[in-house]
Amino acid sequence: MKKFLATLLAIVTVLSLCACGKKDDGKITLKMWCIATESDSNRKSYENAIKDMAAKYPDITLEWEAIENEAYKTKIKTAVTGDNMPDIFFTWSCAFLGDFVSAGKVYCLDEAYKDFASKLPEKMCKNTTYDGKKYGVPLTMNIVGLFANMELLKKAGYDEIPGTYEEFIKCCDALKAQGIIPFGCAGKETWCVTEYLESVIEKSCGAQVLDDIFMGRASWDNADVAKAVDTFQSMVTKGYFDPDGAALKNDVVKTNFMAGKYAFYMNGTWNCADFSNDANFKDKVKVAEFPVINGDKAKLGQLIGGPSDTLAVAKSSKNAATAAKYTFELGQLICKYGYLDGCGLPAWTVDYDASAVNPLTQSVAEIVAKSDYMVLFGDTAMSSEDAAKYLKEVDSVYSCEVDGSKFVSDLKASIR
Amino acid sequence: MKRKNLDKLTIFMFLLPALLLFVGILVAPLISSAYNSFFNWKGFGNKTYLGWKNYKDLFGEEVKFSKAIWHALELAGLSVFIQLPLSLLLALLLGRGIKGERFFLSVNFMPVLISTVVIGQLWRKIFDPEGLLNALLRVTKILGENERNILWLAEKGTNGKSLLLFACFIPMLWQYVGYHMLLMYAGVKSVDPSLREAAKIDGATDWQVDRYVVIPSMKQIIKVSVIFAVTGSLKAYDLIAVLAEIRTEAAAVPSTVLMNRMSLYGQYGMGSAISVILILLCFFFAIFIGAVFKERE
Repeated sequence: MKKFLATLLAIVTVLSLCACGKKDDGKITLKMWCIATESDSNRKSYENAIKDMAAKYPDITLEWEAIENEAYKTKIKTAVTGDNMPDIFFTWSCAFLGDFVSAGKVYCLDEAYKDFASKLPEKMCKNTTYDGKKYGVPLTMNIVGLFANMELLKKAGYDEIPGTYEEFIKCCDALKAQGIIPFGCAGKETWCVTEYLESVIEKSCGAQVLDDIFMGRASWDNADVAKAVDTFQSMVTKGYFDPDGAALKNDVVKTNFMAGKYAFYMNGTWNCADFSNDANFKDKVKVAEFPVINGDKAKLGQLIGGPSDTLAVAKSSKNAATAAKYTFELGQLICKYGYLDGCGLPAWTVDYDASAVNPLTQSVAEIVAKSDYMVLFGDTAMSSEDAAKYLKEVDSVYSCEVDGSKFVSDLKASIR
Repeated sequence: MKRKNLDKLTIFMFLLPALLLFVGILVAPLISSAYNSFFNWKGFGNKTYLGWKNYKDLFGEEVKFSKAIWHALELAGLSVFIQLPLSLLLALLLGRGIKGERFFLSVNFMPVLISTVVIGQLWRKIFDPEGLLNALLRVTKILGENERNILWLAEKGTNGKSLLLFACFIPMLWQYVGYHMLLMYAGVKSVDPSLREAAKIDGATDWQVDRYVVIPSMKQIIKVSVIFAVTGSLKAYDLIAVLAEIRTEAAAVPSTVLMNRMSLYGQYGMGSAISVILILLCFFFAIFIGAVFKERE
């Protein structure tokens, strides 16, 4: 008897290794994966949007799961490999989603978009359109902003952020003369360096040139780009950047900026929420567009950034058509709540009262409203392999190991 | 007969869970890694067969994997020749039954208990440009007033020389001194007290007792420590990931290169090739060290 029981127990142990379970209650259940974990600034907007959707569609149950950013990238790729994708999934635009689209794993949203075309401008779908077909629902978007500590600028004799490049450089020199470091930049996180470098390239060569290069339509081999990289490097060698920056991470640099160590900080506009929530800092900070360096080729209104956070629908979903409509409505709500919280700018048209949005985010919204061209962040626009090579080269530029011409020739050789 | 069959079935059923776990968690992924290492693969979608190209590329100009292995071997060397002797010294001192033995044991073991991420953050504060270490150098006037801060954690530090690898090694060695000390302490304590006494009666000093009685009888423990230290160095990842980022070239070790290739470059094939090499290296060193100790015996 004892032996029999033991055998039974062993069988149960084996069986329990392979868990299984399925239930079907007639209602539609949609599964969603995203990265809005508890610590993510977008968490609240997801929760609110999902609550609204549950009230509006009682017959659709949304089972959602939030996974930490880096781990999510692996998880979603594994799910795509094994055809275990959830109905709705979070993705980044351009190359990240593009890989899944070219593998034929993503549901085309053209049909569902028709109902939302009036609320979602075509240009906001640019980064998730492949071969003329739409595959993603954009949420919030962000650009690179030139944040300035006006208290420090005042010490150098400036009441406003200089609007021209010549004035801007004079301002940096004046700041240095006062013993104030003009820029803070985290060298330990290369994407922070690209926020500066890409803006300098864009304002020297024009948005179209940079966009073509990022999207693989043009080669890196471009003399104007090389010159722009040299311009950026001259700002480093002139000592405009914190010499300690190479060993700092972004959280430290951001804290330093808020504590008044640097006059300027170029970074994503998602920082608006944090800057505005700091009682001591919110009245000192202003945001502007980086000035034009070469007026013959570039102009104001050309920005770095754009919609990247996206929701998409799996082709394997049994309720793909329903999921598509649901995703558009959900995306619109996440966008709304995210904007009201100051987590980013709306990719969707604002048809609600947004006067409560913090002033900093509102001034970013004004900059975006006046813009006519947005070039997506290079590391998002490029495929992961190209992006990694690009970031490595940017590192070398920041540490002054390579100059502009070496930068373009290296990238020309290694990318495509 | 029937009874015998039931016995066999029972044995089989009892072994099955462990066997399934062993095959499923260890053997199967190993085989699939070895298989994937011959392909160009993003982790999903189509695979293209490359033959040995991934392995060849690993040692080429771009990936510089040999540099990563060299860094790991440097760490292994430091570990065996600095960390382990230090652990042994502590274990021998504590093993003599000094006052406050338990207390010192706990104090030295403490770093092992703290999460590596926390240790990474602690040492980050020490190595920060305006951190403790630079402050100490300024107070002691080693670093002059007009000199720039030393960037311990920069990929390219002052004068283009990187101190990053060095900065990562110190906390790594420090953290596991206590671990090896505890292993060796157990070895010291397991030495028969009568041997110790006999040696003492014969007039041996404390050091002579340690040198001629204690150490020779704990060879097995030392062997285990050396194997752990060397394979641990080959597998080093966490502290470097916290202090230096996985992209780093200056402090690249095999595991950071693996993660860099897989998660940043999206080259799962090459990542698999690295894991195969890593496993082979660990096996090789485990067997090699075993053989060296056997020869000595």
